[in-house]
Amino acid sequence: MNDKNIMESHMGTTAIKISARDVQVYYGDNHAIKDVSIDIEDKTVTAFIGPSGCGKSTFLRCLNRMNDTIDICKVTGSIRIDDEDIYDRRVDPVQLRAKVGMVFQKPNPFPKSIYDNVAYGPRIHGLAQNKADLDEIVERALRRGAIWNEVKDRLQSPGTGLSGGQQQRLCIARAVATEPEVLLMDEPCSALDPIATAQVEELIDELRQSFSVVIVTHSMQQAARVSQKTAFFHLGNMVEYGETGQIFTTPQDPRTESYITGRIG
Amino acid sequence: MTDAIQKPEKKKSSLLQLDARTRTRNAAETRFKAYGMIAIAFGLLMLSILVFNIVTRGAGAYQQTFVALEVELLAGKLDKKGNRDLDDIKKVSTFGYTPLLSNALEAKVIELGIETDLKAKKMVGILSKSAAAQVRDYVLNNPNKIGETIGFEFLASSRVDGYLKGRVNRDSIGNDKNISPAQLDLVDALKAEGSLAKRFNMSFITGSDASDARPEAAGMGTSMIGSFFMMLVVLVLALPIGVAASIYLEEFAPKNWITDIIEVNISNLAAVPSIVFGILGLAVFINYMHLPNSAPLVGGLVLTLMTLPTIIISTRASLKAVPPSIRDAALGVGASKMQSVFHHVLPLAAPGILTGTIIGLAQALGETAPLLLIGMVGFIASNPPDSIATGLLSPNSAMPAQIYEWAKRADPAFYERAWGGIIILLVFLVTMNTIAVILRRRFERRW
Ligand SMILES: Nc1ncnc2c1ncn2[C@@H]1O[C@H](COP(=O)(O)OP(=O)(O)O)[C@@H](O)[C@H]1O
Ligand SMILES: [Mg+2]
Repeated sequence: MNDKNIMESHMGTTAIKISARDVQVYYGDNHAIKDVSIDIEDKTVTAFIGPSGCGKSTFLRCLNRMNDTIDICKVTGSIRIDDEDIYDRRVDPVQLRAKVGMVFQKPNPFPKSIYDNVAYGPRIHGLAQNKADLDEIVERALRRGAIWNEVKDRLQSPGTGLSGGQQQRLCIARAVATEPEVLLMDEPCSALDPIATAQVEELIDELRQSFSVVIVTHSMQQAARVSQKTAFFHLGNMVEYGETGQIFTTPQDPRTESYITGRIG
Repeated sequence: MTDAIQKPEKKKSSLLQLDARTRTRNAAETRFKAYGMIAIAFGLLMLSILVFNIVTRGAGAYQQTFVALEVELLAGKLDKKGNRDLDDIKKVSTFGYTPLLSNALEAKVIELGIETDLKAKKMVGILSKSAAAQVRDYVLNNPNKIGETIGFEFLASSRVDGYLKGRVNRDSIGNDKNISPAQLDLVDALKAEGSLAKRFNMSFITGSDASDARPEAAGMGTSMIGSFFMMLVVLVLALPIGVAASIYLEEFAPKNWITDIIEVNISNLAAVPSIVFGILGLAVFINYMHLPNSAPLVGGLVLTLMTLPTIIISTRASLKAVPPSIRDAALGVGASKMQSVFHHVLPLAAPGILTGTIIGLAQALGETAPLLLIGMVGFIASNPPDSIATGLLSPNSAMPAQIYEWAKRADPAFYERAWGGIIILLVFLVTMNTIAVILRRRFERRW
């Protein structure tokens, strides 16, 4: 069923974008991520799957240091993006997050106009020289978010007035507007209906041309549809990582197999 | 088969007939609703009694009795040298003007043919003691009018005013040195003729407080200015300090035992009786820092201390109400903590912060106890300040302090003014709270 994906990933680039080694995450005494090492490729969609509470979101949030905002959270080990340690003392997490964009589980547009939602990132990072520049960036981002046609006539109306699926695509447009190199998505479709989900999935596939996309999902079908690589997490461990097709057809670990066949859930 | 059908029919309850449980439940609900309605009705009744009382007792202060007189500004009395030199004219004190008033009254009595045994000197008793000063002020401003006859409207004395308002009557003045039945006869005659009448008294709202002997001239205006300057100090200090403290505590401060202690203390401060802040102000601002007594600046500082906890608590509540997803969204596109707070969180919390600030200000506006200790009560604020600096530093009173002061004085004419002052204070408070409600309604977040 995944011949296309398997074929593509065999041909795909093998440049490593993110490389994590021996990552441990603690929430106080709770050891949430245990010894995770993974190489995430550029221009590839990598899916994190696993039962809920296994640490997918936690690990994803390590990649742009969103965990820094949680007081009790402690991260050790090394995570390198383009061979630079993102937990180095000299790294400013704010600069990192401009490079590693994030889309959240619940659509969270700012309660501002659609235009301002998308323009906010470019504005604070000084990506536009003038108004015309900014207009262009906003339009390009909204086109890449596959929502331009729906909102081009009402850019000044509030982003919170859109439907759930539109809001999520707006959030994706907002994330790509800052020209990140990596796009992290934490269950981006969990609040969406099937039609909106299909639109977002299609979008993810297109985004792969420009970014390294990491997507957390609880839906195995979704992982199979959109990703080339899949990592299976279980109780804080990364149990198995490989080509999506291979994970779903011939899993190596019994835990992966029982999850895929629906015995752990 | 028939059995099978009949059996459930027997047990089946009709929806048209209430069972016992439903009946008791409905009865309980009805009772509860009745209790609620009684409570609200009681509250409304008390409120209307309060408002009715305040309005009926206070309304009198907005009306005052005035006497219209033609006063001849005798050059011989006011400017003996006749050279219209202002310095010379100033040498004539208000006592020098009293004869002009008695002349004017006598002339009026003769003109109207009123029969009275009163000497001209006694007639002046029906006028306020401020009448002479009023003429003097006029002359000092218009020295060229000396020698002419000018029409004035003088305040009647508080006894005469009370007579017209029904507070004073012929039986009650037996031992009163300030008014006699003969004077009341004169008042009746002047009233019948129309040159003595009760009308709306703007100077109660705009004027200054007056000494014990002249209740008819006392007004709220100067103490309103005092309150205004205090509120200015509170707003300028408490709002930025309170908001900054809240933002720091809510968004930046690490959660540890130190911030826990700070938090508990802020909540406790909100419950500290205001008189404690008053004595603190006395000790620190006046005794230690030697700021002037009775100054609105000191009052404002004390009220700032009192208002800070209110502002901090309401600001923190409105910051907390901003969903964390908004902060995540901002951080996710690479905004710094500071940018996320100032670009997104603060604007969303602003209506709540403003509402809290207005309510804090309204509280401070009505506060009396701390002002007792820093000398803003009992001070007769007779001159309005002429600049911001004097407004802040020269002694003044404040609205609630002024009301308290009037209520304390013996003369019933002041009592009426205390109620009148309460009306003004309430109008301010209601206006401020209405603005707070409107702001809250207007900017309520629509997610
Ligand atoms: N903010 C947090 N504070 C404390 N513990 C947390 C926090 N977020 C997640 N955890 C814990 O970390 C573990 C992994 O959670 P998470 O990464 O959200 O799982 P997943 O996304 O795979 O469902 C869970 O045991 C959860 O209780
Ligand atoms: Mg999760």
